[in-house]
Amino acid sequence: MNVISRQSLLDKTLLASRIIILLLILAFIAFPVIWLLSTSLASRISMFKIPPRLFTGFKLDNYSYVFEKMEISKWIMNSILISLGTMILSLLLGVPSGYAFSRVEFKGKKILLIMILLTRALPTIVIVMPFRIIMQNFGLLGTRWAVILIDTVYNAAFTFWLMSGLFESLPKELEEAALIDGCGTVRAFIRIAVPLSIPGIITAALFAFILSWNDFIFALTLTSPDTTTLPLGMLSTFGILQQGWTHMAAMGMIAIFPVILLSLLLQRYYIGGLTFGGVK
Amino acid sequence: MYLFQQKSFDKKKRTLIYFLVPITVYMLVFFLYPVLYNLFIGFFDLKLGGTAEFVGLDNYRKMAGDEQFLNSLITTMVFVFCAVSVELIFGLAIAGLLNSENKKMEILRTFILIPTVFTPLVAGLVWKSLYHPDMGMVSYYLRALGINIGRGLIVERHLALLSVIIVDVWEWTPLMVIILLAGLKSLPKNPYEAAMIDGAGAVQLFFRITVPLLKPTLLVALLIRSLDALKVFDIIWVITGGGPGTSTTVANLRIYEVGMNQLQVGYAAALSNGLLVVGIIVGLIFVKFIYSKEG
Repeated sequence: MNVISRQSLLDKTLLASRIIILLLILAFIAFPVIWLLSTSLASRISMFKIPPRLFTGFKLDNYSYVFEKMEISKWIMNSILISLGTMILSLLLGVPSGYAFSRVEFKGKKILLIMILLTRALPTIVIVMPFRIIMQNFGLLGTRWAVILIDTVYNAAFTFWLMSGLFESLPKELEEAALIDGCGTVRAFIRIAVPLSIPGIITAALFAFILSWNDFIFALTLTSPDTTTLPLGMLSTFGILQQGWTHMAAMGMIAIFPVILLSLLLQRYYIGGLTFGGVK
Repeated sequence: MYLFQQKSFDKKKRTLIYFLVPITVYMLVFFLYPVLYNLFIGFFDLKLGGTAEFVGLDNYRKMAGDEQFLNSLITTMVFVFCAVSVELIFGLAIAGLLNSENKKMEILRTFILIPTVFTPLVAGLVWKSLYHPDMGMVSYYLRALGINIGRGLIVERHLALLSVIIVDVWEWTPLMVIILLAGLKSLPKNPYEAAMIDGAGAVQLFFRITVPLLKPTLLVALLIRSLDALKVFDIIWVITGGGPGTSTTVANLRIYEVGMNQLQVGYAAALSNGLLVVGIIVGLIFVKFIYSKEG
């Protein structure tokens, strides 16, 4: 009896010390987030106080200021339109093709796969400048479409890869039964395969939204003042405001809020997407 | 009957091939074409808004003697190597700590993921403020602890690269954790039980069993992170802008400068193709390791 209770006590202590170490790590991880929140609620003057402290005030002035005095509504709108556009286009391109890829053999299958996987490996800078010139030639430079089109390259590729892996693991029998019942291939796909793969579609949609919401370099090279996204807009005010960290922080909170909320709400899908690349 | 089946099978196959057409066309137009176009303009002396002149391999010859670019490649390598190795070590340690069925661990795991969704540009601005030489919280408390940071973390040449590596580690260690945790959870239990009966200690278990079994996941995680770290741009652009001097100018920043600020588009294209070759070599080394070990 003594041995058992000592063992369980040891286990409990071990678990407790692991949790304490992890909480310390978590404090480091959370610190920039807490700083951002605290600064967004602070008054401007408190930023100049020495020693610097967290949570010197709780006012929403900075939030109302950025909405009243800056074009933040426009930037948010641009970010939303670009992220949603990318999400929809990526799903339209990636889901049916991922399905077909897992269901049919053809010549050049490997080449298509290599092209898709190359999107992940290629340094971004290689595509940024030629893409800018091409968009200029298409007359799309400075439009939201330019950013959507390039963000979709990456996200459609991810969707395709994720979905083809997922469809491969789904049994084909159900669709074959539907085909024999006189269902066309398209209907078998929409009625049977798509409903079974909703978790994968949610993951793909979530990633497309987060990645294009967080994008910087493509927005930097392809947008105009009218189509500026939120991160880029923030950067443009950082110089003007100089030490106006409080306004920057309010904008920063607005920028990270939707993506953090989505990743927490859809946590299972988010983790599924993150580990997919590592396990496959 | 057989004929009918054959016919409907062909029809099915044809429909499925149609499903693949849009993404193939899309990738050809918006991915492969820009990449090939980049290869093409690398042979030209092309100035933005100016004329183009075919110069053959001149840009590449110039690249071979371009000290600023070669230095930026070295900075990139140092950045990638340091950031990714630290992320791997921390990632493995944290994944080991988190690897438990306990409910509390799942809650902790959730919060550890936050940096991976944190808009990189916002992260950059936050860290830049924290590093601010006079009013930044990190600078202030480091000095208060008696640590010599000179005129400031991102002002001193020898500290600036370290400062941006810390930000990358903060941002991407969680991804390592999640990938390695998934790997750890899928490990078989039998080898551990056998080794424990033989009296192996925790350290032995880790190096003799965990590491070899986890090797495929470790290599894939390293590959993904190395390729992504090669793309680093946002955080350095915001925090140091490549400075002080050129101490944090990674290749991406240098190429951007040449192409977008100096408007030498042709030369910038050649430089980015040079970087692409480096990326391919890194990728191939990993792929070789991954496949040689899996047999």
